[in-house]
Amino acid sequence: MVAQAIFWIASAVAILGGVGVITLRQPINAVLSLVAVMLALSVLFLLLSAQFIFAVQIIVYAGAVMVLFLFVVALLGPGRERTRGGLRLHWSLSLLVALPFFGVLWAMLSGVRFRAPQKADLATFGSVQQIGIGLFTKYLFPFELTSILLLVAAVGAIYLSRGERAGHGAGTADEDQDDRA
Amino acid sequence: MSSITLAAPDPLGLYTNPIGHWVIVVVAMVVALVVLMTGAAYSVWFERVALGRMQRRPGPNRVGPFGLLQLAADGVKLAFKESFAPRMVDPVLYVLAPAIMVTAAFLAWAVIPVGIWYGFSYWIADLNVGILLVLAVSSMNAYALLLGGWSSNNKYSLLGGLRAAAQLVSYELSLGLALVPVFMIVGSLRLQDIATYQVHWFGASFPLPLILVAPLSFVIYMVSAVAEVNRTPFDLPEAEQELIGGYLTEYSGLKFVCFYLGEYINMITVAALATLLFLAGWEGPLLPPVFWMFVKIVFFIFLFIWLRTTLPRLRYDMLMRLGWKVLLPLAIANVVVTAIVLVAVQ
Repeated sequence: MVAQAIFWIASAVAILGGVGVITLRQPINAVLSLVAVMLALSVLFLLLSAQFIFAVQIIVYAGAVMVLFLFVVALLGPGRERTRGGLRLHWSLSLLVALPFFGVLWAMLSGVRFRAPQKADLATFGSVQQIGIGLFTKYLFPFELTSILLLVAAVGAIYLSRGERAGHGAGTADEDQDDRA
Repeated sequence: MSSITLAAPDPLGLYTNPIGHWVIVVVAMVVALVVLMTGAAYSVWFERVALGRMQRRPGPNRVGPFGLLQLAADGVKLAFKESFAPRMVDPVLYVLAPAIMVTAAFLAWAVIPVGIWYGFSYWIADLNVGILLVLAVSSMNAYALLLGGWSSNNKYSLLGGLRAAAQLVSYELSLGLALVPVFMIVGSLRLQDIATYQVHWFGASFPLPLILVAPLSFVIYMVSAVAEVNRTPFDLPEAEQELIGGYLTEYSGLKFVCFYLGEYINMITVAALATLLFLAGWEGPLLPPVFWMFVKIVFFIFLFIWLRTTLPRLRYDMLMRLGWKVLLPLAIANVVVTAIVLVAVQ
C-alpha cells in the first residue's frame, strides 16, 4: 500500500511538472518543473527495483543536464525571457497535430494489457552487477553504438561552437592562451 | 522494501520484526541528525582554533572552556537575527535554496556506514548502489547554490551561483571517475563492503587500506572533494575579495545557518567517504572501531583546514583547466590502467 501511495504521488508530481514546463511563464520555474519531473521519474524507477537506473537518473539528468539548463536561464537574467500575453491556442493547428498524436497513442496503448511483472530475483534485479553484465554481454553492440553516437554529437557541438567564435575573431582569455600554445 | 541487514547479533529479534525495525531506523535517523549537527558545530570550532594557531593567534577561547561553547553562542545569536529578505527576491526560491542544501547534506548519511564496536557497524539504508546515492544527493547541492544566487537578485550572488554550478558539475565527473578503480578492486558499490575489504595475500587475509593500491584515485578524489565542498583553494563561489560572499551575500539568520550547516556537513561527509574508501574505514589496532572512524574523519577535516591556511585561491580559468584538462584525463587513465592490471593479476 505504501508502494501504491508512492506511485500515485510520484506520477502526479511527474504529470504536474510536465504541465508546469509548458505553462509556467518564468523560464526558471519551467526548468524547475522539469527537475521535478526527472526526480519523480527516478522515484518510479526505484519503485520498479531499478536502483542503478534510479541513481543514474538523478546524477545525470537532475544533477548535470538540468543544472546546465538552469545555468543558462540564470545567465539570461530574471524576467528577460518573460513572454507577453497568455498561452495562445491555435485551435485548428493544435487539433491537426493533437488528433493524429492521440490516435497513434490509442492504437499503441489499446494493445497493452495489464499483467504482473515477470518473476525476477529481487536480490539481484536492477543491481549494478546485473546491469553491467547485461551491458557488456547481451547489449554490447547497441551500447557501443550509442557511445559512438554520443561521441559524434559531442565532437560536433565542440566543432560548431569553436568555428563560430573563430569567425568573430574574439575569444576569452583562456582560449587565446590555448591558441598560442 | 529493500532488505536491511545489521552486522550484529540480534538476540531480541527486534530487527526482523517490522515495527521494531522501523523504531530502530527512526532512532538511528534522529541520532545521525543530532551527531551531525553537533559535529558540524565543532568542525567550525576546530577550524577556527586551528586557523588561529596556524596564524599565531589563539582563536576563540572566551566562551566556555577552550572556547568550546562559542558555537552555541553563535547559534543563539544567528537564531535571533531578523530574517530579512531584500526587495524583489523570488520568495519561494529564496527559501527553497537553503532548504535543499541542508536536506541534501543530511540525506547522504542514509547509506554511510558507521563502525561502532567490534563486529558491530550500522547503516540506515542498505542500497546496492551505495555510494552512487551519495553522489546523486550531493549533485543536488548545485541547485541550492545556483538558486540561492539567482533568487537573491544581486549580481554578486548570481555570479557566485553560476560559478558554483559550473564548478560542481565539472568536478563531479573527476570525483566519480576517481572512485571507479576502487569499485573495480572491491567489486561492490556498497560503502560497508569497501570499508571492510579484505585481501587474501600469502595465505592470510587482512584489511587493506585501499590508498595503498589506488593512490592516484585518492589524490584525484581529495582534490575533487575540496572543489565539491567549495573550500579554499577552490572557494570561488564565495570568494569574498571579489564577490563579497557569493551566493551567501543576501542571506542572514537561520537561512544563512542552513547554508553554513550544509557546507560543514558536506565537509564531514567527504571526510567520512575518504575514510571508508581509502583508509579501511573503522579498522584499526587496539582501540574500538568508533574511535578509529572518528580519528580518521578528524584527520581529513584537519587536512581541509590545513589546505585553507596554506594555499591561495585559484583563478577561475585555472580551476576549469585543472578540472577538465588535468584531473579528468588522469582519472580516465587511472581507470584504464587499473582495469589492465586487474585483468593481468587475475
